[in-house]
Amino acid sequence: MRNPNESVNQQSASSDQLLAFMQYLRGKKIPVSPADTLDAIEAAELLGYSDRALLKNGLAATLAKSSHELATFERAFDEYFQLAASTSAAKALADDEGTQPTPDPGVSPSHENMLPENTPDPLEGLRGNALFDSLESQDESALSVAIETAAAEVKVEDISLFTQRGQYVRKMLDALGDEALRAAAIEFEQSDPAAFEAVQALREQLRERVRDRVERAYLIHASAQTEDLLDESLSKLKLGNIDHSQMARFKRLMERMARKLAARHGRRRRRYRRGKLHVGETVRKSVATDGIPFHPKWRKVERKRPQIMAICDVSGSVAAYAKFLLMFIYALQDVLPRTRSFAFSAALGEVSDLFNTLPVEEAIETVNLKYGGATDYGRALNDFSELALAEVNHATTLIILGDARNNQADPRLDLLAEMKARAKQVIWLNPESTRMWGTGDSEMLKVRRHCHIAKECNNLNQLARIIDQLLSERR
Amino acid sequence: MPNTDYPSLGEISAIQTAFEAAGYICTTRIATVVKLAAALEKPVLIEGPPGVGKTELAKTCAKVVNRPLVRLQCYEGLDESKALYEWKYGKQLLYTQLLKEQLGEILDGAKGLSESMNRLHQFGDVFYSEAFLEPRPLLKAMETDSGGVLLIDEIDKADFEFESLLLEVLSDFQVSIPELGTISAQSKPLVFLTSNDTRDLSDALKRRCLHLHIPFPSVELEARIVASRVPDLSQSLTDQLVRFVHAIRSLDLKKAPAISETIDWAKSLVLLHANNLDGSLVLDTLNVLLKYEEDIKIAEAQLPKLMATTTA
Repeated sequence: MRNPNESVNQQSASSDQLLAFMQYLRGKKIPVSPADTLDAIEAAELLGYSDRALLKNGLAATLAKSSHELATFERAFDEYFQLAASTSAAKALADDEGTQPTPDPGVSPSHENMLPENTPDPLEGLRGNALFDSLESQDESALSVAIETAAAEVKVEDISLFTQRGQYVRKMLDALGDEALRAAAIEFEQSDPAAFEAVQALREQLRERVRDRVERAYLIHASAQTEDLLDESLSKLKLGNIDHSQMARFKRLMERMARKLAARHGRRRRRYRRGKLHVGETVRKSVATDGIPFHPKWRKVERKRPQIMAICDVSGSVAAYAKFLLMFIYALQDVLPRTRSFAFSAALGEVSDLFNTLPVEEAIETVNLKYGGATDYGRALNDFSELALAEVNHATTLIILGDARNNQADPRLDLLAEMKARAKQVIWLNPESTRMWGTGDSEMLKVRRHCHIAKECNNLNQLARIIDQLLSERR
Repeated sequence: MPNTDYPSLGEISAIQTAFEAAGYICTTRIATVVKLAAALEKPVLIEGPPGVGKTELAKTCAKVVNRPLVRLQCYEGLDESKALYEWKYGKQLLYTQLLKEQLGEILDGAKGLSESMNRLHQFGDVFYSEAFLEPRPLLKAMETDSGGVLLIDEIDKADFEFESLLLEVLSDFQVSIPELGTISAQSKPLVFLTSNDTRDLSDALKRRCLHLHIPFPSVELEARIVASRVPDLSQSLTDQLVRFVHAIRSLDLKKAPAISETIDWAKSLVLLHANNLDGSLVLDTLNVLLKYEEDIKIAEAQLPKLMATTTA
């Protein structure tokens, strides 16, 4: 009784929905390339759309590319298809109907029969209005078709802000022809309260559906943009001002930046590793084979592993920045192995072990507890010299994070000069803006003379840029 | 077009039964991915903690489809000469030495340099022909007649540039040799890559693969796995043992015991003729399960609590 094209239609309807789902996934920061899309559709067609768990597994295999993406994917799949579940059948139907303009005459009467017989005559005037009829008979397929058509007409997928919802709902209602129903309602309001109620109830239903449709469009098309906007503003925010509620998002953002840097610089390091023929050694070996070089020997390029020593002021004023710097550096473990970290406010101590054994955030809490207090750069630099100066060599980059405000005490710049002489680079990061350097008890102007680089660093973008530079320079 | 090279991998339930017969209990997710891999001719990238059966999956798959398994173990510094192909340098050299005399005969009577050159050119690149080519695992896998299973183990251990080398093999199932041209697979092998997630793989590689993450199994699944691998162990002891292992995994350990360790432990219990899991037995055999002294200490301290879970 169904036409033979039906299964094909259903398939294309489903793959349309798959495409929408991919868009949704992109919004959830799972990168889905066009090639992935093709794979996913192929997989879905192979597995069929009927078994949801099966489909989920198949799509997961083609779309989620790592274990953390897998978790996101599973959540997104459940969310999306729950969201769409109520309307998905309707939409598939709608697309079906869209290809067969003559509606099945068998459907509406049967529905009408199920209606309670309390609709009074006055509504008769509205019968014949397509929208009213489908609302009254609860004709899912006709309604969906109408809503999808209206959605296409007002280009609901262009929605970009959450606050535009109302506007789009209005536009879609207009496109659907709600005007006629409203006019009728106004008319009935005086003359026939029962009919008025009935019409209003149907209109409310319609509005509900339209609102759903608009919200779904927002979730699928615009939430991604909004997320990007939030990320962007967060990466420009002063690190000291990031509060607890933004921490989770911030951590994600930082990890993403770190991954990007790691991917970029991980590659470069390896490019310089290829060997060349070691002529001398090869000739020497060839003596045994009558001068014929049977055993070629290769020159080995020694991989220079850069070492970073981070010295962080963890006194109250700078603690937040130290936290982020350390988090960032440790997120880059892949390209920055052998990182050592030191924390000080008055006394200085090595905290690398803490970072190797504890999760970064816990480690930072512990560090704050242990070394927090009033700052004394002189003592801290002295402690560092005793502890690790002997291990600072031409491959070492020293990163010092602090505001260089030393409460009028001697900052021991002689020690800093010695560190500069030994190390490959001394980088001083100061969370204060350049304008504040040298004011009050700040020793920054003197300090910067003893550093290779002295920079203002108080948001994620600046931090990422500095680390990027750092990684680019070393060979 | 579904691939018909591996008819035994057509149905998910059939895959599950066949794998189970070969001693590998797989979840529907694993079976789905295997089916997709065979049908879409795509490599599978398997991730998960060590010892959950990533390598085993590839081996079992080879058993099920009854094709040879070619294995490439990755390590830092692995390059194309170890993975793809290598010219038999020694053989080339030996032959040139041996054929030196022949050269005189060939060039006999040739007038001038250009005629000599022309004569030599007639012989083509004899020293760069397949006779001097040493195929390494990847090329070998391309050359097997009726397909096979290629296992690229611990891809995360290999260098970044090695991944780029793999791309051609994984997407087109072919190997380009500058001197010879392109050798493509007669029949596409099933490819499995495993990774312990010690570093991020490149997006290009991930994009070409189906992705499968195998986590630690649930209690029921692990009990089934142990039962199939160590059938001599009684049902009740298997249950106790698996529950104990699961309790241990919830501790904060340096290395949580994997399925392979559970199986080893089960085997040692069989050897010891144990029929009940008691405290002293656990203490004596804990070193089978845990590989670090500190972990064993942690587990010993928690032993009463852990034992309580086994009777649940």
